[in-house]
Amino acid sequence: MSLVNAELFKVRTTSLWWIMGIILVPLYAASVLANWAQASAGQPPSDAGVSDTQTAQIEAALQPINVATNLYTSGQYFGVLVVLLLSAIIVTSEFFHLTATTTFLTTPRRESVILAKFAAAAVIGVLVWLFTTVLNLLVVPLIMNNLDLGSQLGEAAVWRAIGLNLLAFVLWAILGVGAGVLIRSQIAATLILAITYVVGTSAIGLIFFLLSEYVAEWINNLQVLVPTTASQLMISGTDLPGSPPRWVGAVVMIGYAVVLGFFGTWLTKRRDIS
Amino acid sequence: MTGPGTDEIVVDRLTKQYKKLRAVDDLSFRVRSGRVTGFLGPNGAGKTTTLRMLLGLVTPTAGTATFGSQRYTELSDPVRKVGAVLEASSAHRGRTGRNHLRMICRASGLPDKRADEVLELVGLTPAAGRKFKGYSLGMKQRLGIAAAMLGDPQVLILDEPANGLDPEGIRWMRDLLKSLASNGRTVLVSSHLLGEMQLLADDVVIVAAGKLITQGPVDEVLGGMTGGVQVRVRTPQAEALTAALSELNASVTATQDGALLVHGAEAAAVGHAAFAAGVELHELATERGDLEQVFLQLTAGKAGIR
Repeated sequence: MSLVNAELFKVRTTSLWWIMGIILVPLYAASVLANWAQASAGQPPSDAGVSDTQTAQIEAALQPINVATNLYTSGQYFGVLVVLLLSAIIVTSEFFHLTATTTFLTTPRRESVILAKFAAAAVIGVLVWLFTTVLNLLVVPLIMNNLDLGSQLGEAAVWRAIGLNLLAFVLWAILGVGAGVLIRSQIAATLILAITYVVGTSAIGLIFFLLSEYVAEWINNLQVLVPTTASQLMISGTDLPGSPPRWVGAVVMIGYAVVLGFFGTWLTKRRDIS
Repeated sequence: MTGPGTDEIVVDRLTKQYKKLRAVDDLSFRVRSGRVTGFLGPNGAGKTTTLRMLLGLVTPTAGTATFGSQRYTELSDPVRKVGAVLEASSAHRGRTGRNHLRMICRASGLPDKRADEVLELVGLTPAAGRKFKGYSLGMKQRLGIAAAMLGDPQVLILDEPANGLDPEGIRWMRDLLKSLASNGRTVLVSSHLLGEMQLLADDVVIVAAGKLITQGPVDEVLGGMTGGVQVRVRTPQAEALTAALSELNASVTATQDGALLVHGAEAAAVGHAAFAAGVELHELATERGDLEQVFLQLTAGKAGIR
């Protein structure tokens, strides 16, 4: 427990956390506005050239409950990105600033250090989730009223979405620490994670689209193995048509977190620190 | 017979093989408590690698480096048993000195106030709230020593601690380490600054190219060398004195500044021979060989980049 405390102390005593905070606030505001705009845009005209599945998805997404789950988890996209980067930097900064020597001299049992970093990253994930969720609970009811949909806060699905949103933050935090252990270079780790997270989904989506078109249809189902897709599926709150069940997304995310966690710990234990 | 206590450092047939380089090669030595031990060797001799293996940061290819019979990673409370200063720059640039120390306190269960106590000990209190990137090299070294002293450990290990210290800082560190050793602590200091080591160390361990060259008390290591002890004489009648000394079977060499160095005769014998021969002397002194000479002699041909 004192190790988790020490890890959080490390984050608190450098300027990184408030820089990330300053970046997060405007991005959060933009997310809320984007979700609001999407909800008020309504359905596309029936001759807009969209497939039946897509139409069904859009229709489902515009149901009040789905609008609500989407809005009440606003800030997830960028919040998770910030948590992901912070979690990776918790590890990579030890090597970037050569503090790994001090850390492992203080705590020679390296698995304890890595476990503490996983826990500290999870705490950071919870804090960022708390931050966005509190803001959402303040702001979103106003938007829902504006859309004439009611606050929807009585719906179990909304609270389930908020809970799953928390799970997403924690799992991405763990993923970030694992990635930081694997990619020790601070610059490489942050760039690779940010690019994979932001561009990766669409790039990999395109690859899957081509594979399913030209090789085999079933390959498309594997898209859920992409962490960002899995996360999206896990928190989407209601089962949208044409997607695997939600728990599959959760299983994939937990799988990634566990595999990276174990592999990262194993790797850190055997490395020479010089 | 009981084994050595955890305040004794035991390096036993330690070897580290990197892909092409054998950085440390079958190295064995012991470091006793209550003394300052100098760990000497040319650059690239494997000193830092040895210390990192001792501290559990680098895994040995073979052999062991232990405190008594325990590895560093097996110590129940390492910060309170062993303090180490490895490289001056191992703190986060954006963190203050005090927070760097508090971070270690929190991870090892020490109270935060220890941070302020050791800052006072190393004279860094005025800079406690300054960020590490604003520290001079000497201040970084002091912070490193402060960190090592947090747990008030029985064993102290320092890698090139004199780097970046000014003369006043070097003197301060020498006094600190000597007083720690005289309190019964074990102090192992690596360095390539031989003059400093001669003033500081009680024992030396000399390595080159990853291998042990010699170890023992400084006096023995110096005395055991040819040319260890010599007598310096200065006279306006160099030839007459040389002739008188040759009867004592002493060898005489002239130095560039005009003095004579006599090997194989005590100062008293040299003085007597001069008196008997009626030779006027301006200087007569016994000189102990210095560590630098001995070191260069011992490591000749083994130093350098590998």
